[in-house]
Amino acid sequence: MKYTSQMVAKPYFIAAIGLFVGQILFGIIMGLQYVIGDFLFPEIPFNVARMVHTNLLIVWLLFGFMGASYYLVPEEAETELHSPILAKLMFWIFLIAGAATILGYLLVPYATLAEITMNDLLPTMGREFLEQPTITKIGIVIVALAFLFNIGMTILKGRKTVINLVLLIGLVGLAVFFLFAFYNPDNIVLDKMFWWFVVHLWVEGVWELILGSLLAFVLIKTTGVDREVIEKWLYVIIAMALITGLIGTGHHFFWIGTPGYWQWWGSIFSAMEPIPFFMMTVFAFNMVNKRRREHPNQPAVLWALGTGVMAFLGAGVWGFLHTLSPVNYYTHGTQITAAHGHMAFYGAYVMIVLAIISYAMPMLNGRKAANSAKSQIVEMWSFWLMTISMVFITLFLTGAGILQVYLQRMSDNPLPFMVVQDKIELFYWLREGAGVVFLIGLIVYIASFFIGKDEAEPNEA
Amino acid sequence: MPRSQTSGRELAILFEALYLANLLIAPVMAFLILLVLYFQNKNHSSPLARSHLSQTFYTSLLGGFLVFLVVGVLFLFGGFDSPYIWMWVVLYFTIIHSTLVLFGALGLAKAMSNQCWRYPIIGAKLPKGC
Repeated sequence: MKYTSQMVAKPYFIAAIGLFVGQILFGIIMGLQYVIGDFLFPEIPFNVARMVHTNLLIVWLLFGFMGASYYLVPEEAETELHSPILAKLMFWIFLIAGAATILGYLLVPYATLAEITMNDLLPTMGREFLEQPTITKIGIVIVALAFLFNIGMTILKGRKTVINLVLLIGLVGLAVFFLFAFYNPDNIVLDKMFWWFVVHLWVEGVWELILGSLLAFVLIKTTGVDREVIEKWLYVIIAMALITGLIGTGHHFFWIGTPGYWQWWGSIFSAMEPIPFFMMTVFAFNMVNKRRREHPNQPAVLWALGTGVMAFLGAGVWGFLHTLSPVNYYTHGTQITAAHGHMAFYGAYVMIVLAIISYAMPMLNGRKAANSAKSQIVEMWSFWLMTISMVFITLFLTGAGILQVYLQRMSDNPLPFMVVQDKIELFYWLREGAGVVFLIGLIVYIASFFIGKDEAEPNEA
Repeated sequence: MPRSQTSGRELAILFEALYLANLLIAPVMAFLILLVLYFQNKNHSSPLARSHLSQTFYTSLLGGFLVFLVVGVLFLFGGFDSPYIWMWVVLYFTIIHSTLVLFGALGLAKAMSNQCWRYPIIGAKLPKGC
């Protein structure tokens, strides 16, 4: 590790993995509630489990992005982090606020949580993914601003590279678009429209910049390919991500009461959204094919390659599957959306965070470049367990979604929602099984940090 | 870099691009161009070009066969009115099509890196010199 201040990344990575475990546990609980409706009721109602599952995902990915930035930026800028103390302070504030929010969801009825956190002063609660109490949202903004200040000052005083500038643009975008979470108009059409400014413009906009810069960083480090080559790819990828992703927001405006032209804008631009993900796949494999070194950390390379492939499948293919307006008319809000959401989040964001953790953790633990061979084998097992089970989760949800669309929305005699849910129960059981395998994969992943700790690392070829 | 190797790489990239175009934006038309190029270049001096040509050409044929034959059989025996047949058709088409696209993406990356590559399972045998 070149700069001692990079060490602040470690607690962020550990917290990210811990919250990841929580997210998957609640996913398993919720998956079981799909088939055993009163499982853990009334202790953990379905709507609460869902809220915890999705909120934990967002929070742990944010921890991952922050940790990744604290690791990457000093190295790219060739200088120590502006303020490691601020980074540590923000870590504890974010962790305590995040944990308190999750406990609030679990221990207090949501309406009471809104009341005790004085939501009525500035009402922002009650919307999917943005369920956090207003006070938590304000905390997120403070943490984000302090984080941006720290990262921005480090870049300002150090070397400016394409990677750290693209990362900074992505992080600024992340903070700016979150501000729409505070805008909560009475008009429900406007409400939904600006709600997507947070949700869509995060995951199909600025987060892709963060993804691209992290992927480029890992590939530079593990392949030894010239920075100039990787930077050119990065430019084109982020340009395509923004061109398609920004106006592609229109695919969420099809049925919320916005003007009809969004049917065209949304369909055309979001149909092009797989392009940057396709390019990422070609980019990652091209760089690895042209590598000038055999990096001893093989799992990091595997996660980086996996990111390209799985992001293309999950975000690209499964997104395109239901993005055209005439198709989306039948599919919106079905299990097809859930299938897309699972694989896209895993492929694009979970895998890139795990890639950078895999790359950085050995150094953060005092090693030269990689974990022991035994640890690497275990980690690669976890890669395959999690990735293959996620493929099956996606396929089972897609199967359920197709049947749901047909039986509930297309047939001559459409069936009621709950009748259809009964008919697709088998798929929910299969999805639950795949989810358990995913959890096993995650446990194996965590075990890889503790296996072969005292053994030497493989040599670089 | 010798001229024959450069042109071999460019041709290999062109073949992979046409293979992908056939799957993604210009079905049939891109394959027809690939077909013409196949007969023009099947004895090309560069093993790199020949390998990518044979992979893309034969996989396009086999891929089309896999997609249309199985989907056709499913509809033939299951009809158009069964939700389960539609489920299998959509799932099957999505899996096969995206697998073929991924093969093309990896093939394109190999072509750009001056490397021969055999598509997994369904790829034709690589020519000598690869």
